[in-house]
Amino acid sequence: MIRHICPSLLILLVFVFSGGGVLAVPRPALADETCNSPYTTRLIKGQEDYVHVWTLGVEGLGDGSDKLVTIDANPKSAQYGKVVHALPVGGRGEAHHMGFTDDRKYLWAGGLDDSRIHIFDVGTDPSKPKLVQTVGDLPQKTGFVGPHTFYALPGRMLVQALSNARDHGGATGMAVYNNKGELVAKHDMPTTEIGGAKGDGYGYDLAINPRKNALLTSSFTGWNNYMMDLGKLVQDGEAMKRFGATMAVWDLKAMKPKQILSVPGAPLEVRWSLNPKDNWAITATALTSKLWLIRQDAKGAWQAKEVATIGDPAKIPLPVDISITADGKGLWVNTFMDGTTRYFDLTNPDAPKQVYTKSTGKQINMISQSWDGKRVYITSSLLANWDKKGDDNEQFLRAFRWDGKELTLAFEVDFTREKLGRAHHMKFTAKPAAKTGAAPPPRQTAAR
Amino acid sequence: MNGRVVAAGAALAATLLVSLPGSAHRNEQRPVVARPVMDFTPPPAGSYTLNVIHAAPDGLVADLDGRPRRLSELTRGRITLLSLVYTYCPDPTGCPLGYETSVTLRRLILSDARLHGRVRFVSLSFDPVNDSPAAMRAYAGGNAAAHGPLPWHFMTSASMKELGPILDGFGQEIEVELDPRGRPTRTISHMLKLFLIDRAGRVREIYSTAFLHPETMLNDVRTLVMEEDGRRP
Repeated sequence: MIRHICPSLLILLVFVFSGGGVLAVPRPALADETCNSPYTTRLIKGQEDYVHVWTLGVEGLGDGSDKLVTIDANPKSAQYGKVVHALPVGGRGEAHHMGFTDDRKYLWAGGLDDSRIHIFDVGTDPSKPKLVQTVGDLPQKTGFVGPHTFYALPGRMLVQALSNARDHGGATGMAVYNNKGELVAKHDMPTTEIGGAKGDGYGYDLAINPRKNALLTSSFTGWNNYMMDLGKLVQDGEAMKRFGATMAVWDLKAMKPKQILSVPGAPLEVRWSLNPKDNWAITATALTSKLWLIRQDAKGAWQAKEVATIGDPAKIPLPVDISITADGKGLWVNTFMDGTTRYFDLTNPDAPKQVYTKSTGKQINMISQSWDGKRVYITSSLLANWDKKGDDNEQFLRAFRWDGKELTLAFEVDFTREKLGRAHHMKFTAKPAAKTGAAPPPRQTAAR
Repeated sequence: MNGRVVAAGAALAATLLVSLPGSAHRNEQRPVVARPVMDFTPPPAGSYTLNVIHAAPDGLVADLDGRPRRLSELTRGRITLLSLVYTYCPDPTGCPLGYETSVTLRRLILSDARLHGRVRFVSLSFDPVNDSPAAMRAYAGGNAAAHGPLPWHFMTSASMKELGPILDGFGQEIEVELDPRGRPTRTISHMLKLFLIDRAGRVREIYSTAFLHPETMLNDVRTLVMEEDGRRP
């Protein structure tokens, strides 16, 4: 079983195999890396060994601290489906998303409330991550708060924030850190009219396409809203006006916005198709429950168009996370309010078709799939103040097998019973298949 | 195509013979490379800023005659494109691609007389066990040049002990892949990285495989030259 592939091979094979490739190498499977920067090394082709869950602490539950929870996910392991490690970071900072560094050795994890960024070593021994650094200077050095997305670039991390320190509204920006955790640059989200639409200054997710020198960003809402009780928020008409309604296409090299796209309803996760024949990305709007396609036209301009409806928008199912398949032909969509996991056929990205639904929890949020698409993982927590109350406040990680027709529960970890907290973002790792050091001289080379 | 550069042919990454990886390959099947597709017009030189990412580390390295040198001698005073490589890397998207891209970029730089004397290339092996000075000389072939409009230095090191801090400073992880019995093979897992360093020894851009677009890299070099000269459009 191949766990790791050499250098950046996998990355470029995505670009290379467009039908006329001449390399006699099979196209590797990609999946979860499409949900964050795929421009990393040491991607996993086969079975992941661990799922790391960035977990919000709950007062009175266990140690009450935010923590990185590590779960054994290899069916051949005696510990399969068990929590093998929990690493509290101290305090509750609204743990939210994570992202690997380019070498995949470190995992950056952010807090939307305290704006701290915790850096975990998951490369040395992924069964026992270590907290090696905490970056706490984001508000002071950039004026941004709420680090959300962590997207690996060569030697550095692109961080999308959600809010600002001045008024805790939605105006925000991106920060670039080097891998040592030192700030390199900051970039405000656009607020001017560029290419026919006016930027709202909001931010949420980002993803790049080096082939197009394009960075695509989306927009959500500021600290004042995402830290407010959801029931109170939806009754606050003024607050409900303060959600993002745009996406921005940036010149990645210059880090300058080139075009603003009108995408009403808070466009969230951004997923580029990694099929080299494709020139599009897709997103879901939380408030309007739509899928939007962002594609470059023949003249080189970017266009955004609504291409599908997710559930019944009148019932506000609240699509919260999406996961695109390696070939760009399928899309998982989780809707929080109705606890439904949906699968869309993306064969025609202009007209995605919902072909499968399953109720997977009383509330569900993140969804990640394995490299080969055969395993799907789901967690429950959206935001501490947006999660449901009482018996509906299930907190779990659920692992499913996917045979192309049906999701079958493989194992479940009850995060409340285990006194862990609210389960949010997931990332996969595998046991090292390599060691640090020099290659042996030829005469000492092992038979291969 | 409306001025758009489409490298490697219509939406395909080309698989190419590396043109000049030295005499060691002359009578062998030469490594293939797979170029990343480039489907955009790079922003003009000087229209953007290359931020300081981190300082380039220093340490002892060895030249083709095995003489020790400070790496800082080769990362200061000129704009430097430094590649971290190993000579027998078989990955079409790894070191052979880095080499081929450097050859292409060198041609582009040499075609612009204003850039002569402003840039140097450094290829530094991260495998001191196998990449001896002699191996590096063979790898360099006719490309090694200590002087001229665009010097290209091929370097190795005496040991991992000396090399380790340099790799750490560049953030270059390397690992030796293991066979099913846990024994080290001769495949070194690494993420291909080329570093663009300004004359003050500061890393200003890092290129991994997906970003190895020679036309963009040329504009990056020109951007740093314009910055040195105090010129902005």
